[in-house]
Amino acid sequence: MQSLSFKEAEVSAPDLTPHEAARWADRHGLPLPAHRHAPVAATARHIHSVVAVLRELDLGDVPPTAGHRAHLTEEERLDAAV
Amino acid sequence: MRPYEMTLAAAAGAIRRRELSPVELVDSVLDRIERIQPRLTAYATVTAERARRAARDAERAITEGRPHGPLHGVPMGLKDLIDVAGIPTTASSRVRAGHRAQTDSAVAARLSEAGAVLVGKTHTHEFAYGLTTPQTRNAWDAGRVAGGSSGGSAVAVAAGAATFALGTDTGGSIRVPAALNGIVGLKPTYGLVPRRGVTSLAWSLDHVGPLARTVEDTALVLDALVGPGGGGPAGPDSPSAPPEELTGLRVGVPRTYYFDRVAPQVEAAVRRAIGRLADLGARLVDVDIPMTRYVQAVQWGLMVPEATAYHEHTLRTVPDLYGADVRILLEAGALMSAGDYLRAQRARTLMRREWAVLFEKADVIAAPSVPVTAVKAGQETVTWADGTEEGVADAYVRLSAPANITGVPALSLPVGRDRAGMPIGMQLLARPLAEALLLRVGRAYERTQPAPEVASAS
Repeated sequence: MQSLSFKEAEVSAPDLTPHEAARWADRHGLPLPAHRHAPVAATARHIHSVVAVLRELDLGDVPPTAGHRAHLTEEERLDAAV
Repeated sequence: MRPYEMTLAAAAGAIRRRELSPVELVDSVLDRIERIQPRLTAYATVTAERARRAARDAERAITEGRPHGPLHGVPMGLKDLIDVAGIPTTASSRVRAGHRAQTDSAVAARLSEAGAVLVGKTHTHEFAYGLTTPQTRNAWDAGRVAGGSSGGSAVAVAAGAATFALGTDTGGSIRVPAALNGIVGLKPTYGLVPRRGVTSLAWSLDHVGPLARTVEDTALVLDALVGPGGGGPAGPDSPSAPPEELTGLRVGVPRTYYFDRVAPQVEAAVRRAIGRLADLGARLVDVDIPMTRYVQAVQWGLMVPEATAYHEHTLRTVPDLYGADVRILLEAGALMSAGDYLRAQRARTLMRREWAVLFEKADVIAAPSVPVTAVKAGQETVTWADGTEEGVADAYVRLSAPANITGVPALSLPVGRDRAGMPIGMQLLARPLAEALLLRVGRAYERTQPAPEVASAS
């Protein structure tokens, strides 16, 4: 678990480099061609700068909104596909 | 008045009285589509033959005395994320080339059952992932953006090229184009209108809802979508019931967030409209919007990874078929961690709790729909009086996102024009499942105003 936490911090770091972006995208199953490394890293840095503010919140034992339902909804049974 | 200019309520009344036939109405709207489409590009697909056939069927049903409701024989556009059996759902994307929907989405089936006639599928910002719908132009000024992502639906309705339409709203995608084109748009309570058969942008933020030229029309469409006994605002509290006076209603006027970095002409028009609500008997109460610092972070923290997850397969197999602006967001979304996503979900729980407290102080909250009217096509940023610069998309999402995050219903309705003649929208928000209340307040305001005009598509 220690290493997972460390790596999450690494990928979220504001100084994410094009090389790191490529490596992490590949690790998530999305190999990026070389010309995509720099723009994807820049966009990921921007997204991170927006969402990082949530780290200020003391979330205590607040659960995520997405809740468990015992019964499948209509959407869960059948949804549109790409 | 030509049939394409009629509101849904007026057209339904004329059809019921047999002063207007569905064939005349549908032909008039199809002619109008031919006129506006080259300039405004509201539609991805026009289904003229199918529409004429459906109109003849609707006319026959009326002649034979079979019972019909207000949508019977009325022409509609559906955002091209909404499946209709036998027709492509293009999502305005090359990724969907060759697509053909096998079955009707739940909403298409319900509207078809109500007798509405599909005249075409309207353009969306590609896969709903953007706020301008660049292929479509604003109904009031073709040099300005339509807004998005339901830009085609809003422009079609504003220009008389559909009597009503459906859109989807993940971060304002119904309310933003409705506001920018001077029409009404409703984002219902999360989960009220079924999303089966509608292409997702982000599951936990997506909503399907109506766009129309009046609040009254919007209520009629919602009635058909939710259905009697559908768990929504049906029955004696139906949203299409006559509006009551607003005496005693508490209208919350935000002291924070919703009037920050808003164009002065937008603020003035919305405050005038709030004044009209007070004239109608509402009691204005100051409210403070909770957790505003975290709105954009929660919106992005949920939307970005969910969108990337939805497109996971095609992003690997056909990335070059996406537009540049959408592709980069989908790719960058792959770099967000599960920790970031969970933090956004947990912050959303806090925000929903805080908003529930907010609605103990006010029955309805009134605010601008968007901070600025339709910008010129190609404009990328807005500069505010305090010297700060904001991306156009960020500005258009900013006042919409709280209702997507919390799931509360939100109605956008036109409340004036700026000096350039561009429409200004006011947003009304209420507690979950209070659509009937929202529509009653919107209708009460609407009755104090002149009847809406169809855009001349100049």
